[in-house]
Amino acid sequence: MADVTTNSPRLILTDTNFRLWLPLLWIGVIAAAALLAPLIAPHDPLAQDLMLERLPPFFMDGSEPGYWLGTDSLGRDVLSRIIYGARIALFVSLIAATTTGIFGSALGLIAGFYGGWADRVISRLVDIWMAFPPVLFAVLLVAVMGTGLGSVIAAIALIDWTRFARVIRAETMVQARMDYVDSARIGGARRAATLVSEILPNVMPSIIALLMLEMGIAVIVEAILSFVNLSISSDDPTWGSMIAEGRGAIHFAWWVLLFPLIALFMTVLSFSTLGEGLKQRFDPVLK
Amino acid sequence: MTSTTAHTHTLDIINLNIALPRGQRLLRNVSLQLEPGEVRALVGESGAGKSMIGKAVLGILPHKIKMTEGEILLEGAHLNAMTPATRRRTVAKMSALIPQDPLTALNPVRKIGPQITDPLIRIHGWSHQRALARARELLDRVHIRAPDRVMHSYPHELSGGMRQRILIAAAFAPSPRLIVADEPTTALDVTVQKQILRLIRELQRETGTAVLFVTHDMGVVAKISQKVTVLFAGRVIEDAATHTVFENPAHPYTQALIAATPTPNVSARPFQPVPSALIAELHRDTVAADALFAQRGRR
Amino acid sequence: MLLKTVFVRLLTTAITLFGVAVVVFILVRVAPGNPIAMMLPPGATDQDIATLNAVYGFDKSLAEQFIIWLGGVIQGDFGTSITLRQPVAELVLGRLPATLELSTLALLLAVALGGFVAVIGARKRGTGTEVGLDLTSGAVLSVPDFLWGLIFVLVFGVLWPVLSISGRVDPRIDIDFTTNFYIFEGLLRGRLDVVGSTLSHMLMPAMSLALPLAAMIAQLLKQNLKEALTQDYTTLARVRGFSETAVILREALRNAALPTLALVGVQFTFLIGGTVIVERLFAFEGLGNMAIDAVINRDLPLIQGIVLLFAALFTVINLLVDLSYTFLNPRLRHG
Repeated sequence: MADVTTNSPRLILTDTNFRLWLPLLWIGVIAAAALLAPLIAPHDPLAQDLMLERLPPFFMDGSEPGYWLGTDSLGRDVLSRIIYGARIALFVSLIAATTTGIFGSALGLIAGFYGGWADRVISRLVDIWMAFPPVLFAVLLVAVMGTGLGSVIAAIALIDWTRFARVIRAETMVQARMDYVDSARIGGARRAATLVSEILPNVMPSIIALLMLEMGIAVIVEAILSFVNLSISSDDPTWGSMIAEGRGAIHFAWWVLLFPLIALFMTVLSFSTLGEGLKQRFDPVLK
Repeated sequence: MTSTTAHTHTLDIINLNIALPRGQRLLRNVSLQLEPGEVRALVGESGAGKSMIGKAVLGILPHKIKMTEGEILLEGAHLNAMTPATRRRTVAKMSALIPQDPLTALNPVRKIGPQITDPLIRIHGWSHQRALARARELLDRVHIRAPDRVMHSYPHELSGGMRQRILIAAAFAPSPRLIVADEPTTALDVTVQKQILRLIRELQRETGTAVLFVTHDMGVVAKISQKVTVLFAGRVIEDAATHTVFENPAHPYTQALIAATPTPNVSARPFQPVPSALIAELHRDTVAADALFAQRGRR
Repeated sequence: MLLKTVFVRLLTTAITLFGVAVVVFILVRVAPGNPIAMMLPPGATDQDIATLNAVYGFDKSLAEQFIIWLGGVIQGDFGTSITLRQPVAELVLGRLPATLELSTLALLLAVALGGFVAVIGARKRGTGTEVGLDLTSGAVLSVPDFLWGLIFVLVFGVLWPVLSISGRVDPRIDIDFTTNFYIFEGLLRGRLDVVGSTLSHMLMPAMSLALPLAAMIAQLLKQNLKEALTQDYTTLARVRGFSETAVILREALRNAALPTLALVGVQFTFLIGGTVIVERLFAFEGLGNMAIDAVINRDLPLIQGIVLLFAALFTVINLLVDLSYTFLNPRLRHG
């Protein structure tokens, strides 16, 4: 393994800094679009104009100036909808990933640190959860809770906590066996305090890397739920609902599918590359 | 010079130099020959570069280590002049390796039989029956009872000594001209070591195969070889007939090596480790080591 | 020893499945919206609703309903679909072959593609080719099946329309299937047109499902191959005259495949889970597509049946992987 790293040709794409900055740049662009949506969106994302339906993007014949990425079947501006869609995508990913992370990490820490019955119950729950097809589970949960942003976020947290619980449980078990925990306990620290002061900081890098991964996953889950028409009200511009519409109109207006797909693709790739990059940067073994 | 002599050596290494990518030299100007049917021991402490010679001949030098200078001739054929594929086939047809660790040298998920017969069939072009008969014959020769059952076993079902005997059988199976034995007894129990040495010696005599025997143990040298090459820090510091070296070692390092070997049939001297001061001195002053360079009985 | 391991695994599998049954049962019951009311025409009286509730057993307590339902499930009776008015078992088993064929094809594609890339990467270790393959598989891995599906829909639906982007088989093909294994039956009956049409419909959804798994196999198998290629038995094979490619395929591959297999098993269940949305995307008439319809229509018995079948499939696959791992490793087999 070692001989390969020293012999690998130096490629700019393998540079760790570059792998952190490139995704950060894209996420920055999306975040800026989300924050400044009312200022930079050329049109009202909900404004329908049947006179302007299915306008192609700017580089094709028949495009209208001002409608850079064309319009959909109801004459709504694709670019403006993508910009407003970024708001929902980022909001869902941020809140859902944080909720999932806190919930799952807490269970993972408890199972890994205390062991015994707590571990057995949590591990069995993880097994049961892993036996559900996740997409079907999400669809079912949103159907049960009713559509809306809150349901989408709750569904993501209720399904994906296992990802955090599994990883953090394993890492906590490793940490709990190390000497410094013993020395902290001999020093009079109480068990719960040890968990927070000694173990949590050491598993934090993994939690942060997983959070990044989860943000990408949350964006996808929201898009999937929108795609099956179960996310939030179908009027709101989400990338998923645009994709669903684009899938239906694929033979008439492919750009309605293409542009939100690019936005989704880049965002998911950025989050996971960022998570991978952070993991490598924090990991003392890989460093 | 050496390459123009009338008869062909089994192995002729001329002025071999091997270095790490940053230029650190592992072998300096090493030359040695093996005649048909000869057993030559290659001794030296770990790090002296003795294993590198065998690896260079067989073309299995580690990833970053390169041959920087020199010639290797196997049965008169210039290995360096060949394309990698031709070289690989030539070396495989004329030579074989008895590896150091029998526990890792057999593929754990394949049965023993095919691991012996595969090269015979696929590289040497033998028929399936002929390869199988040969494998049986050699397993029998290395005192493996029920060769057919062993050929259907996996390596983990056999003892270390058995596995080394299987590897010896596999090495001799294609009747190679040269066998490189890379510390073949180091990983084994003392009692098993003796059997293995005797086995290699017997098979070597029966087949007339030349053996380059790499070891750090002067006791082993005394038992198996007719010639000895002593290496220190990548240089040949002594090259002579085994009995000459034991009776009259020219180099102080060789003298120390012999003194450090508790071998009753060589001398009754008490055990003396190689003096660290001597090693330090040799390392410190490679120029002095050159001056002490002794080379006797070389043709 | 082995028998005890198998027994413990079977027991935990049963507990997991029971847990799944409880969770899905509770979830489905707390769902708002009365499915019975949706079945009846407007103007139905409370009396009508009460009667129908009694027919479906919704008037009993939750615990009673669960016991009745579970008792039926154990006997193979999964209840009756509310919207389709057919036994759930019949409906679900009718769709299962489509999903199984799709997932199996996806798995084969993933193993072939991932294995190929891993062997090339191991062969070219330490070169720019390896770095390039690593970067590519890393990116492919981070993009989920849903997005690959959409990309294929765009590419093959618009740019290069050579493959169909919806359905399972060309509707113009005239054949009465006796089973729902179209490929299998097509092969047995010598109807290559059916096999071809089914495959051309399945290729894109299968590829969408296969790509992330292929990338994962490529990375992991390559790592294990490189590890095996430093072992003494591979060095010995090189001395014996085998080419580097032959050493990889004959000596290293089998050793590297074992640790890879453990992961592929878990990932295969994720792949099957992915069929739910990918089937929807390609309008492929499989189990997952039916599941989403069932959720949207609040068809409680059907949802329960499908989720339970998926869960059973997942746990059985995990069990089989564990057992085959034991069987394929000669050191464990005799141990």
